[in-house]
Amino acid sequence: MYAIKDARLAGTFVVLGAWIQLLSLICVTFPLFTFGAKTIFVCADFFLTPFDAAFVVLTSAVAACAFTHGHIFFEGELVGSDPPTSANVRVNYACAMFFVLAMYGVYFCKNLGYLWVCVESTTLLSAPLVYFSRTRHALEATWKYLIICSVGISFALLGTLFIFASAQHGAVSGGTLRVTELIEAASKLDPKLLRFGFIFCFLGYGTKCGMFPLHSWLPDAHSEAPAPSSALLSGSLLNCALFAIFQIGQIVSASGNRLSSEFTLWSGTVTVIAASLFLIRQHALKRLFAYSSIENVGVMLVAIGLNSGWLFFLQALNHSIAKVSLFLLSGNIVQATGSKSLSDQSGLMASAPVWAVLLALSVFAGTGAPPFGTFLSEWLILMRAADLHYYVNVVLLIIGVSLSFIAVCMHVGKVIFGTRNPHLQCFRPLASSAIPALLVVCSLFLGLALGPLMWPLMWGSSSDPRGNNVTWRLDGENWQ
Amino acid sequence: MTLILKYALFILCLALLPFLTIGWLRKIKALLQGRIGAPIVQPFFEFIKLLRKSQKVSETTTWIFRTAAALNAATMLLAAFLVPWLSFKPNFGGDDLFFLLYLLALPRFMTILSGLDAGSPFGAFGSSREAYLAMLVEPAMFISLVALSLLSRTTSLSAIFDLSHRCSLYELPVWLAGALALFLASIVDLSRMPIDDPSTHLELTMVHEAMTIENSGKNLALVEWSYFLKIVVLYGLTAQCLLHSLTYACHFSQLIAGVLSIALLFALAAVTAIVESVSVKLRWRAAPDFIAYALTASLFAMAGALIGGIYVTHNL
Amino acid sequence: MSLTIYEVVSLLSAVIAVLMLGSKSLPLQVSLFSVQIWLITGETVFFAYQYNHWEFYGVALILFLQRAVFVPLFLERILREIHVSRDPGMILPAPLTMHLSILFFGLSFFVAQNFPAPGPGGIVVATATASISHLFSGIVMMLTRRLALSQIIGFLTIENGVYLFALTQTNGLPVLIEMAVLFDILGAVMIGGVLVFGIKRSFEHIDVSQLKDLKH
Repeated sequence: MYAIKDARLAGTFVVLGAWIQLLSLICVTFPLFTFGAKTIFVCADFFLTPFDAAFVVLTSAVAACAFTHGHIFFEGELVGSDPPTSANVRVNYACAMFFVLAMYGVYFCKNLGYLWVCVESTTLLSAPLVYFSRTRHALEATWKYLIICSVGISFALLGTLFIFASAQHGAVSGGTLRVTELIEAASKLDPKLLRFGFIFCFLGYGTKCGMFPLHSWLPDAHSEAPAPSSALLSGSLLNCALFAIFQIGQIVSASGNRLSSEFTLWSGTVTVIAASLFLIRQHALKRLFAYSSIENVGVMLVAIGLNSGWLFFLQALNHSIAKVSLFLLSGNIVQATGSKSLSDQSGLMASAPVWAVLLALSVFAGTGAPPFGTFLSEWLILMRAADLHYYVNVVLLIIGVSLSFIAVCMHVGKVIFGTRNPHLQCFRPLASSAIPALLVVCSLFLGLALGPLMWPLMWGSSSDPRGNNVTWRLDGENWQ
Repeated sequence: MTLILKYALFILCLALLPFLTIGWLRKIKALLQGRIGAPIVQPFFEFIKLLRKSQKVSETTTWIFRTAAALNAATMLLAAFLVPWLSFKPNFGGDDLFFLLYLLALPRFMTILSGLDAGSPFGAFGSSREAYLAMLVEPAMFISLVALSLLSRTTSLSAIFDLSHRCSLYELPVWLAGALALFLASIVDLSRMPIDDPSTHLELTMVHEAMTIENSGKNLALVEWSYFLKIVVLYGLTAQCLLHSLTYACHFSQLIAGVLSIALLFALAAVTAIVESVSVKLRWRAAPDFIAYALTASLFAMAGALIGGIYVTHNL
Repeated sequence: MSLTIYEVVSLLSAVIAVLMLGSKSLPLQVSLFSVQIWLITGETVFFAYQYNHWEFYGVALILFLQRAVFVPLFLERILREIHVSRDPGMILPAPLTMHLSILFFGLSFFVAQNFPAPGPGGIVVATATASISHLFSGIVMMLTRRLALSQIIGFLTIENGVYLFALTQTNGLPVLIEMAVLFDILGAVMIGGVLVFGIKRSFEHIDVSQLKDLKH
């Protein structure tokens, strides 16, 4: 990508490549979903189950949307005031492609060691993405991002070592890091080492996904990166880190230890509450959406803590779609008004009505209002939590989600309505609304069309004593 | 070795070694500076010269100034008798670890007071600087000696430094760290470089010399003598720590141990001379950083003693 | 009741990590860090020799080349270019952080005692103490230092601790993973170095406590 001298040509290549990737991935993973094939096997440490394949397709879709919109966005940047150098844009594209590749790797790896390597490489490859504009603020954001995430990741490495040691002392001679073997031998793993391992891994990967006390890098990084990169970071990177936590949580709960689920559940709840409190006072559009990402990460943590993989995926799917749309739109707005702060952006309805409508719809989609898909997934998570008797968590989650809804709507309302900003210059308004519109429609579809499919899940779930997996049957497939 | 021989040898060393050590130190320093330097026995002659000179005492002094020097010398002599700074020193009893620390603190206190007593400004700030340094360095010395006492479960110095008990692997780092801590703390306590230049003529840079600058004649002789005794006591202790860590490797007979004690004493003096020649005097504000390393070494000695103790009792 | 060479070398390395915290001059920190890496590489070589894991020679070689040769040279080059050699005041003064990390050294001893008995070839409390104390020293360094370069060194110390833990407690991770881990860390250091240059250029200093424009 770097070899292509012209930034716009590079952009076109990237977009084409992304869509081809998406289509080919769908073709490859199609058998997994419909014909009941179990895995796509590459080698002993790398294979895909249907669950992982869903995430891979999601990541690829997010990448395709982000790159397509990014092409238009960077064209706008290049002709606007203070254009970035062509080299910057090309480096951005190159790093973004490798970044997406690394994220695929995270889902492919069934070996905790390689998982760690892939997650760390996503950190490294996304740092240049954040550093795009080469300003002081971007530098500060990149430094914080790199340092905090790297320290977190080294804790995760220590946790991985502890899990390895627990396998060595308990179950398998010589130890193993393969997830399948660990789950099989789960009851024989050394409990103390496993506990240490889980806590360190949780801290490490939790830093990466923006859990409450360790989230300070997230608003800076996601707001300083250019819009398509923010969309990639918010829409797919957080899923990677949460997926890692999910894998390790599976191992720990398979060994009968309830620490992982309780811990994850509570940290998810605290994250939601904290993020919604932060959302009340915000001054910049992209930071607002970054904090909303943190809140959604909290909800996903709750889903992981409830030991339900498909709920986690559903929330991830809906959140990614809505968040990508939000970030892309905010990128348009920032590019048009030339400033990031909320006070400079108002009266969008008067100046760019298409964007305003899309923004409003995306905000509803992102914060969990019906009839969009996010509402459905959050509702299902709350129901599941109530089924498992975590009533306190349910109440706190409801408070947090409502608070964030109010806060975000309030801030975005000031952007949409109000006095018109005379400095607004839309660059290709129709083309830049295409992808967000597509995403909003997808979210609507997920909410409306899949709704009826969810009725049996919502009313027909079997309540189990706390801690056991609830098995739901849907069209002959096992949803766990 | 018979007791009489031991006593005689000890008295001989006590009489000669202080002067020889400082003479040796100055000689090494001179050689490193490219001079021939004074002969090693020169301090002895200077001592005798000073004893014969008359005193000039400032009119503003009180009894503190007149007695401080004598008190210092007496206390230091007592310390030299009690502290096992040579391996063949006969045991006179009453050598508690805490008593030693107070024995070192008392002359320091009297010197500080006598520096203030003379009424000159240089004495005053020499005293304040010395007090500041003493406050910082006492923990280092204290903790390292206590760490050593943890090894032998007693605070009697002669029992701690008793060479009949061979050093085990878990005690080795304690002895080494203790030796390092004592060495660094002695450098500070004796006002050597890089804390204080003993040969400086500029009063504004003096720390220890400024306090004793008013002494003359017999008082000066006594002050210098107590300083020399302090050198051999502190360096002798350090040498004993090193000797103990050497017993890990092999066992010494009493003769070898005695010879090694004196040899290590001179070696430490040589090391001090080298350090003095290659280092510069630290800024006053940077002095606590240097002392921090002494405290670090002593804390490591303590950590080693505690961990080693836990190892031994749990038989890990 | 014997102290093996692993324990001696690990503890020595941990002591040097603690001493590194007490120094205010950046070149001294880089040098002490290099000494740590030399010790750890030597231990890896000895480990490979003793257990006849030939692949660990390869790991040792890469570790050596990367962290004992490349990283110090890289850091020294950065030092030369940015003309900074003293780390000014921090949140805690340097000697106090050194003492704090000695306390953590003791704490890591008590933590290490809680690990269960080792499997085949695993060596227990002393090396676990050393590796956890590396971790703590690195954390204290990152939290209390203001210069960006010191933070990179602190991060590398944490990684040293983790690597030491892997080597001694679990007989090393599978070699492919070790290699990949090492390369990742290398990448992190390089990107960090590039950023340090950038910070120096934009901010005229590498004092990260001044990077606080983006609050909230």
